[in-house]
Amino acid sequence: MYTLHECRYLDAGFLDYPQALSLQKRILNSVIDGEASHTLISCQHPHIITLSRRTRKESILAGQQELEKCNVGIYCADRGGDATYHGPGQIVLYPIFDLRKKEKDLHLYLRRLEETVICALRDNFGLNAYRKSGFTGVWVGPYKVVSIGIGVRHWVTYHGLALNVKTDKSFFSLIKPCGLDVKMASINDFFDDDVSIESVRDMLVKSFCEVFELRMTEV
Amino acid sequence: MIKVYLPELGENITKATISYWYQDEGASVIEGNDLVEVATDKATFNVPAPCSGTLVEILAHEADTVHPGDVLAVIEEDTVTGEGDEPEV
Repeated sequence: MYTLHECRYLDAGFLDYPQALSLQKRILNSVIDGEASHTLISCQHPHIITLSRRTRKESILAGQQELEKCNVGIYCADRGGDATYHGPGQIVLYPIFDLRKKEKDLHLYLRRLEETVICALRDNFGLNAYRKSGFTGVWVGPYKVVSIGIGVRHWVTYHGLALNVKTDKSFFSLIKPCGLDVKMASINDFFDDDVSIESVRDMLVKSFCEVFELRMTEV
Repeated sequence: MIKVYLPELGENITKATISYWYQDEGASVIEGNDLVEVATDKATFNVPAPCSGTLVEILAHEADTVHPGDVLAVIEEDTVTGEGDEPEV
């Protein structure tokens, strides 16, 4: 009989970005050492711009004064991708996923992260969410709604995806999101009624389990 | 001498960029510890040291493009010297 892999789920609530990264790294080391199973963390962050080592200067459009005025810090993280913004109203998923137990394939893993969001938005909100060939992320109409960037150590992933639910999009004007000339949108923008962050989070978690064939246990 | 290779990273991933060396040439490295970070479009991937020893040569430098199967570095493996191997004086 086919058995689903176990995945621990931790809703970390509202968490500073560096704290979330420390939490991820603690769990990452446990998963690498075989002491813990796959673990999915969900959280929201206070305003912050995060960069990767390969982010170019041109991806930050705002000057220091403007960043200070907006009360937004900058953090250089050990993930792939380019500049992105995190803030209230955005659901962040950090899967600490052991690819040694699935396929050692970063391309496939990234496509499955996109699939998680596409299925959640299509099945629960009827939104026609889609991929764009050659780009990582998920679009609805002409708008990008998800930022994705991951790190991998010993074939175990960390970092992940950020879905705008009711994000203050003015903060995206401080950067070139993902290094692209792209307009960002929130899920809330597509509906007249208010969309609850908690409901989107729960739908994303459910979709993650289905796409990655996991059985979730809350911790 | 042990060669450090860039592994296959997945279907359709034919290249990556060296983004960061955790050690310089001449440094001691420990098996399993992060040696070099490579980056693809949306992922960073840490290549661990395949053995403990001395990092004698880095063949692909930061910002270089590399491909799966490329040799990134060479490590001179530590040799374990047992009591019976002690040179006679």
